[in-house]
Amino acid sequence: MLHEITLNVNGELHIVPVKSHHTLLTVLREQLGITSPKRGCENGECGACTVLYDGKPVNSCMVLAVEAEGHVIETVESLAKNGELHPLQKSFIEHNAVQCGFCTPGMLMSAKGLLAENPHPTEEEIKHALAGNLCRCTGYVRIIDAIKDVADHS
Amino acid sequence: MKYKYIGQNIPRPDAVDKVLGAATYIDDLYLPGMLYAAILRPEYAHAKILSLETAAAEAMPGVVKVVTGAGCTIRYGDNIKDLTPMAVDRVRHIGEPLAAVIADTPWHARAALAKIRVTYEPLPVYVDAREAMREDAVLIHEDNGEIWHLPTLSPIPGTNIADYYHLVKGRGEAGFEEAEVIVEGEFLYPFGSAAAIEPHGAIVWFKPDRTIEVWSSSICPFIIREDLAHAYGRPLSDVRVHIPELGGCFGYKSDITVEQTVAYIASFVPGHPLKWVASRQEDFSSTLIAHGIRTRMKIGAKKDGTLVALKTTVLHSTGAYADTGVNITIGATHNSTGPYEFPHCDLEGYCVYTNTPPVGAYRGYGHQEAQLATERMMDLLARKLHMSPLELRRKNYLREGSVTALGEHLWQSNGDVAACADLVEQAIFTADKPAEDEQYYYGRGFAALMKSPKGAPFSTKGCYMKMNIDGSVSVNMAGAEVGQGLRTVVRQVTAEALKIPPEKVRVYTEIDTQFSPYEWQTIGSMFTTQGGRAVVRTAERLILKLKQTAAQVLRCDLDLLDYDGEYVYLRSDPSVRVAVTSIARGYIHSDGITVGEVAQAVSDARLPRYSNPDENGQGTMGVTYTFGAQGCQIRIEKKSGKIYVDHFASAFDVGQVINPRQIRGQVLGGVLMALGATLSEELRFDEQGRLLNPHFYEYHLPTYKERPPRQTVEFVETPSKIGPFGARGLGEHPVIGVAPAILNAIYDAIGVDFYEIPITPEKIKQALAKKEEA
Repeated sequence: MLHEITLNVNGELHIVPVKSHHTLLTVLREQLGITSPKRGCENGECGACTVLYDGKPVNSCMVLAVEAEGHVIETVESLAKNGELHPLQKSFIEHNAVQCGFCTPGMLMSAKGLLAENPHPTEEEIKHALAGNLCRCTGYVRIIDAIKDVADHS
Repeated sequence: MKYKYIGQNIPRPDAVDKVLGAATYIDDLYLPGMLYAAILRPEYAHAKILSLETAAAEAMPGVVKVVTGAGCTIRYGDNIKDLTPMAVDRVRHIGEPLAAVIADTPWHARAALAKIRVTYEPLPVYVDAREAMREDAVLIHEDNGEIWHLPTLSPIPGTNIADYYHLVKGRGEAGFEEAEVIVEGEFLYPFGSAAAIEPHGAIVWFKPDRTIEVWSSSICPFIIREDLAHAYGRPLSDVRVHIPELGGCFGYKSDITVEQTVAYIASFVPGHPLKWVASRQEDFSSTLIAHGIRTRMKIGAKKDGTLVALKTTVLHSTGAYADTGVNITIGATHNSTGPYEFPHCDLEGYCVYTNTPPVGAYRGYGHQEAQLATERMMDLLARKLHMSPLELRRKNYLREGSVTALGEHLWQSNGDVAACADLVEQAIFTADKPAEDEQYYYGRGFAALMKSPKGAPFSTKGCYMKMNIDGSVSVNMAGAEVGQGLRTVVRQVTAEALKIPPEKVRVYTEIDTQFSPYEWQTIGSMFTTQGGRAVVRTAERLILKLKQTAAQVLRCDLDLLDYDGEYVYLRSDPSVRVAVTSIARGYIHSDGITVGEVAQAVSDARLPRYSNPDENGQGTMGVTYTFGAQGCQIRIEKKSGKIYVDHFASAFDVGQVINPRQIRGQVLGGVLMALGATLSEELRFDEQGRLLNPHFYEYHLPTYKERPPRQTVEFVETPSKIGPFGARGLGEHPVIGVAPAILNAIYDAIGVDFYEIPITPEKIKQALAKKEEA
């Protein structure tokens, strides 16, 4: 069954026909061409598809697209403004928190969501907030360093 | 500082695209006219296919075609051609491709799968090599031995043994006559998964001009090209393979695996690109899995601790197809000495077909699996000899003058195990261990390690370099960037070799067999050594070209000239010079007449004198070993049985650090990955060969919470004579010593020996309860 809905993604309104059982992740990737949310498990287990949903990090593979109507969706494409990287993006580069890069967009969105709610988190709070984002390359150390650095300098 | 750019923390060239979400991975590619495949997996791990009914699936919305393996004659593989793109008349493991639906969308393809009806005649299932080796076992491949294989392999016809590898050094098993003390043990490194966060996938397009175009999240574009060309009877040059960004690899995206299946399906819809990307479940069941190695080991020593003889039997449950597992069996077998000299060795490796998904590389070729045994055995031997485990090891480390099991002579330039061990000892064992308290037991453990490369006689890496007229340089290679950071290495080595700032070096992004220089495959922690060497050799040729042109311009002999990155000048009078920017495309005289060649060069590098094994299973691996040591301090919670790794230390002799921040990242990531294998990860199959936990909920990867709060990472720099500026490879090594170091620490904490991983809290609680009873 098709529903025509309006999605607010990165400040732009998209009118899209979506199937009732399709997830936000599927619609973002397959219909809107926004491919930064990654398909890692489609089961809410890896966090690679994390987007902000009214400012809060969610696994976009666990949200039905029809539910997302009327909510504000942000993906990593919204972070850099006027060619200037977001402080989190800069910090990820400086700390070598990026290796294969597949988990990076989800990590950045979870980090952004955390700092919006808690601008100066402790290491424990960072660990807790990002426990749903898996990374197989870095051992997480650099990602925590990168987020802490932004928190300490904001 | 010896070097200008080597040893600097230069940021990754690909980091910006990755933080922007703009890096393009296989699943981000959409091509015009693209169709999608979904693949049916069997209900039995071993069965004859009696019937396959596809009509109902074909009638489903959006379905273009349903494909089965009936009549398929393609057999493929790089080492043993035992693979088929799709099951023909029999399924041999639970993740095998059985049929595929081609549709206009991925969801239409998936929905139609449920309509395919299959009937089977089940066959006996063997999940473990020991069962498959029984004399009355049904043959998983009835034609074992007749299947094409590399001449260096020895399958045993009439059995499920896909390869038997036997290495004898010195007097072999007879060497135990010289031993005064003997210890024996059996260890298991169970099935696991590399579980990169990006699932494996491919796009294949049979084009109207008879060329085949492929995109794959693979590290082996040239192997895919060769294998597909062979399967479809095309010239190699008619197969074009692209490699986009890879979201992690760790070994399991090597060799040729899913690409042949996707190509077979795509061959039914010529003219359309066909895409298939594994679901998470399929990534666990239907790409390459890991380990499955049981190691039986016997060590003989003198009473003073001098090692005398080693007997190893590796029983490798390699899965239903051995093409990718066979090198793991062999690597595990000859690396089972660890970093020690044994005058006498008898090492056997059995690569055994089982009804499980095929095993492939996992951050090494059997290194961590076999050395779990070696490093546990060294502690067991030390206990028997009443020696300190560190002291026993120190007495026996491979060093200058030693001969490895393979018969290779070692020199000081091969690295310093003892120096690595010292660093770990200082980090972990200097202070007193905390005393047991109400809540916790405390323990410390150690492991030394060795890793040989995994090469092949033709394991070449090519490099093409061109200097542009502004003096900037473009470098093109085919080493796959999987996150390890090889692009940064290429940039730094090029900058150093050409004496130009790294900002002037632009490193290739995607790999495309149509343009990229030949590379065997990006495996075995060999890129820095071999790829770096290829860069240096190419840079030397480029500088020679610049000098040849300059000699014509400056009208002097070539050997009188020097090069400093900006100019080629007369050594005796540097004021006589010409700028490289004036000669990069030849030198244009004022009248327009141009002399000299364009400043571009091609070269390659391979392992020095790499050879096939001889009749004793010995040979040269190119002597590019990397040695190291690891150790840890752990805490075991009495109530829960939970193990906390409080401090983990690693030290490796890497010859020369190229990028300190990046190499440290490799170690931190590798240690956590192996911590997962040691404490939680195991791919579990039931007796029927069904996979019980193909998802992250029950295949628990370490998260932020399992990260050791303290990690020491140290490097020894004994320059290698092979790698660029003395560097050795470091990629797979950080996983090797983790499990034995932790298991040795568990014994130190609670006096219980473990021989298998993972060590879950339940296992600790059971062990503690048993101990209390006793």
